[in-house]
Amino acid sequence: MNSDQLLVLSPIISLSLTALILMIQASIKRDHRIAWWISTLGLLTTLLSIYSASNFSQDVGPLLKVDAWGLWFSALLIFCALITLALSRDIFHTQADTKEEYYLLLILSTLGAVVLVQAAHTASLLLGMELMGIALYAMIAFPKSGDLPLEAAVKYLVLSACASAMLLFGFALLYGATGDLSFAGMGAKAASGYLNNPLLVLAGAAIVLAGMGFKLSLVPFHMWTPDVYQGAPTAVTTFLATLSKGAMFVAMVRLILDGQLYRYESLMNALSVVAVASMLVGNWLALRQQQIKRLIAYSSTAHFGYLLVAIIALPHLGDTQQLGRAAISFYLVAYIVTTLAALTVIANVGGEEDSDMQAFDGLFWRHPAQAITLAVAMLSFAGIPLTAGFMGKFYLITLTLNAQLWLLLGTLMIGSAIAIYYYLRVIFTMSAEPHQLNKGSPTVLGWRNPVALLLMLAVLAIGSWPQPLIDLIGRL
Amino acid sequence: MRDFVWFIPLLPLASSVLLMIASSRLTRRSVALLGVGSVGLAAVLTGAVALEFLSDSTPVEVTLWTWMKIDSLAPRISFYIDGLTLVMMCVITGVGFLIHLFSSEFMQDDDSYARYFAYLNMFIAAMLILVLADNLLLLYLGWEGVGVCSYLLVGFWYRDSANGRAARKAFIVTRIGDTAMLIGLLLLLTELGTLNIRTLMQVASEQWSIGDSLPTIACLLLLGGAIGKSAQFPLHTWLPDAMAGPTPVSALIHAATMVTAGVYLIARTHDLFLLSPSAMHTVAFIGIATSLMAAGTALVQSDIKRILAYSTISQIGYMFLALGVGAWTAGVFHLMTHAFFKALLFLGSGAIIHCLHHEHNIFKMGGLRTRMPITFWSFLIGSAALAALPMTAGFFSKDLILLQAYQRPDFGPWLWGAGLLGALITAIYSFRLVFIVFFGDAKTEPDREIGWQMALPLTVLCALSIIGGYFSLPLADVFPLVNAEHPPHWVEIISISVPLLGVFLAYIGFYGQRPRIDSWTKTPLVQRVGQFLRSGWRLDEVFDRIAVKPYYNLANALQNEPIDRFYEAIVRLNQAIHRHLSATQSGRMRWYITSMMVGLIATLGVAMKIAPGAI
Repeated sequence: MNSDQLLVLSPIISLSLTALILMIQASIKRDHRIAWWISTLGLLTTLLSIYSASNFSQDVGPLLKVDAWGLWFSALLIFCALITLALSRDIFHTQADTKEEYYLLLILSTLGAVVLVQAAHTASLLLGMELMGIALYAMIAFPKSGDLPLEAAVKYLVLSACASAMLLFGFALLYGATGDLSFAGMGAKAASGYLNNPLLVLAGAAIVLAGMGFKLSLVPFHMWTPDVYQGAPTAVTTFLATLSKGAMFVAMVRLILDGQLYRYESLMNALSVVAVASMLVGNWLALRQQQIKRLIAYSSTAHFGYLLVAIIALPHLGDTQQLGRAAISFYLVAYIVTTLAALTVIANVGGEEDSDMQAFDGLFWRHPAQAITLAVAMLSFAGIPLTAGFMGKFYLITLTLNAQLWLLLGTLMIGSAIAIYYYLRVIFTMSAEPHQLNKGSPTVLGWRNPVALLLMLAVLAIGSWPQPLIDLIGRL
Repeated sequence: MRDFVWFIPLLPLASSVLLMIASSRLTRRSVALLGVGSVGLAAVLTGAVALEFLSDSTPVEVTLWTWMKIDSLAPRISFYIDGLTLVMMCVITGVGFLIHLFSSEFMQDDDSYARYFAYLNMFIAAMLILVLADNLLLLYLGWEGVGVCSYLLVGFWYRDSANGRAARKAFIVTRIGDTAMLIGLLLLLTELGTLNIRTLMQVASEQWSIGDSLPTIACLLLLGGAIGKSAQFPLHTWLPDAMAGPTPVSALIHAATMVTAGVYLIARTHDLFLLSPSAMHTVAFIGIATSLMAAGTALVQSDIKRILAYSTISQIGYMFLALGVGAWTAGVFHLMTHAFFKALLFLGSGAIIHCLHHEHNIFKMGGLRTRMPITFWSFLIGSAALAALPMTAGFFSKDLILLQAYQRPDFGPWLWGAGLLGALITAIYSFRLVFIVFFGDAKTEPDREIGWQMALPLTVLCALSIIGGYFSLPLADVFPLVNAEHPPHWVEIISISVPLLGVFLAYIGFYGQRPRIDSWTKTPLVQRVGQFLRSGWRLDEVFDRIAVKPYYNLANALQNEPIDRFYEAIVRLNQAIHRHLSATQSGRMRWYITSMMVGLIATLGVAMKIAPGAI
């Protein structure tokens, strides 16, 4: 291993070191404040190391492929982890006696995600996914009060196990057909493998994609999502919704591109069916949902449906593949930032468990700053101009138009139209007369306000002045 | 100095904004000071610009910034000052200031003192923008701005729903004209590629020749806007109802300034109208017809403000007549003198209404000559000017119009004759008003005297109504020269004597106990004619039947339209799908796993169906 490789691995090393320090700290002095600071500093150091590594692009062994794209998403994931940290700081004050492990879990999960986005091999993919997942199960169940977190964790655990099994089985089939487990190798040999044993390749790929679809809560593998979103502490929901799904999606894009899965038309057809179903069912399920965290869960199903459209469109683009990658990156950034903003407000206002829409009655009068942030997030989800979501959707629709996928485009439009109903419903609820129970303004801890504000500004900035981000993504 | 002309509309605008924001923190005194002072300062600045203009009369253009730039359309926020603009500005700020001063006492007891001045100042600002605009788009901004202010001020006492109705009527009826005007603007833009007024006029004269159909269409569309704003037949019905606003508002907006915007528009675009003789004829005929109709209606009204309102419609008709026969300078001249004497009459009536517990009915007044001397003299001078008695301001301007109308080769004498008939009726109804209100027995006692804030504007306007006729307007560079040939002497003598005859007839009919007219009006025929005239020629009824009622019916019919059903069905379909899908979210893990497996099998099924085009 040469020094360049060491440098590009520095984010992963930095995260691992943070995890180690946290373990040592727990054995010396148990104090969750110190743990919080260590985690924060560790994440910030990691961001720095990503910056220093950003000029290199390198394969590290057969397992990892460190490139600008992966590093960019690593940075984004670290950002998600930082926001989660900010939201987590005081939620376990009363609920658990030992809190330090939570931060350890969070760092480990982040490490898993960073490995996942740089995975170039099925082994590293599984490794990253499981590291991220197993830490998450524990994080979901971390509050010891109430049954909901435990129920959510068990559901997620069991169903995830199922999905992992699918993934492994799929890889086994692909290995059987191609004799290689790295994405690039599979891609190179799939062509000849396909000639010998087409069903093996198709079945393997389909099963792998189904397993990944579970993590992205694509229909029909979406059933767990609302239960887990609702049951988990809101900070963990934030983590799950942004970091875990974002990392998984990037891994999926890599697998499909590097593994050249896009060459199999019937496989893409299957993905199209999943995308259409996700866009429609996700939005329909959210339509009259009263629990706001469940609503976000269903909406995430729809959004990953939209993103799937971009993947399907990629092979149809010919020379403009770059546009496809840019669209995916932009949409993912917009979606993640918007989700962070929305869930931050939900954590601030709705508290950790209660996420009934009633808690948001008349929020515009009770806490205008939070209400405006949530409203901006909802408008961004809906894709209203001047918000990040609009630019993302604009990109996506341009892409789909270029690829001439009319069915998907139509579904995307219909889905977006349905979605406006429930996003605006949230805003209407906030502008309604305050409910009798919520006369007072919710107490939002002082330092949580700037977090929400920062995220809202980010959503607006990306939407109204997108050029810097477009340039940045264009260089990846 | 002239480079800072943008300061003039900015002053009242800033004051308006300030009054809106800080209304609750200002005392009445400071509100009045701000509201009246800003317009006063604007008037002083206008005076300074005018003085400078007298020594150096080259038109000035002041560009502030380019509003937006889309293709060839690049409207600028830019002002243009020539003689015509300057005359309008002097009228707006001068008369406007006097009316503001009058208002500061008239509205004294009103709760919404600050709101009143905020609207009034905003009106002045919008009106100034209208006349200063160097392109038609900016002019349109001012045009709509004054419309909004008019709406707000007519409905100023909004607690009475009748006032709200009057305000809506004023707004909607003028909007009909405005829509025509907007279409006209767009037509000009698409045909000639610019909205800058001077370029437009130049390009129009180069591209179009006299008698083409396009300039006629454009002129008629602009005319549509003009007749809506200036209350000409058939869009004049809003003006009498607009009297629901405070009286100074009627004086400022519905007599002196806003209603003359149509005259200004046509005068400003006269090069375009010169290309279309038929449009010019239309203007003249609409003017004279409106003038006669409104004068007839004014003759039988009993509400003092409605008399003045119909009189305003009638006088603007004269201005349209002037424009239609190409007597541009005479039309603008009459615009100015009319602003003086009609503002005077409205303010006089305001003083009466103020002192007589909001009494509007002239038959409940009487004998006010000795009790309100200042008001009496104002009214007398105002009425004399309105009737165009010799030596008053109205005489000079109306005489000029009639003489120039006579000189038209085609319909000249006919227009002149009709104009004379109008002048006769004008003299009769204006002195009917004077005789009934100020002579005879007192029927209501005034309960207070007017203070200096009301007396001063009345006095100044009295002076202007007399000497205004001697002003010479700097319009020589603006309008083409008209035929200066002098008509025969008998024409002039008749023109002078007809108003005197009118006053005499009014004296016979309405002075003292009026036995003759009383017995005469009892006959059924006269009763019926009177009823017909009083209702404004039944036009309100006609419009109600052909426009308002059908519109309501249509709206009612569309309320339950079938297309809505379609959308409702979509809503219901989506909700039903939502309900059914929600049922699948049972929370049971075995069901979740089952669905995953079913999903997996389905995915496999689609993926493994070997497609021919694979690889």
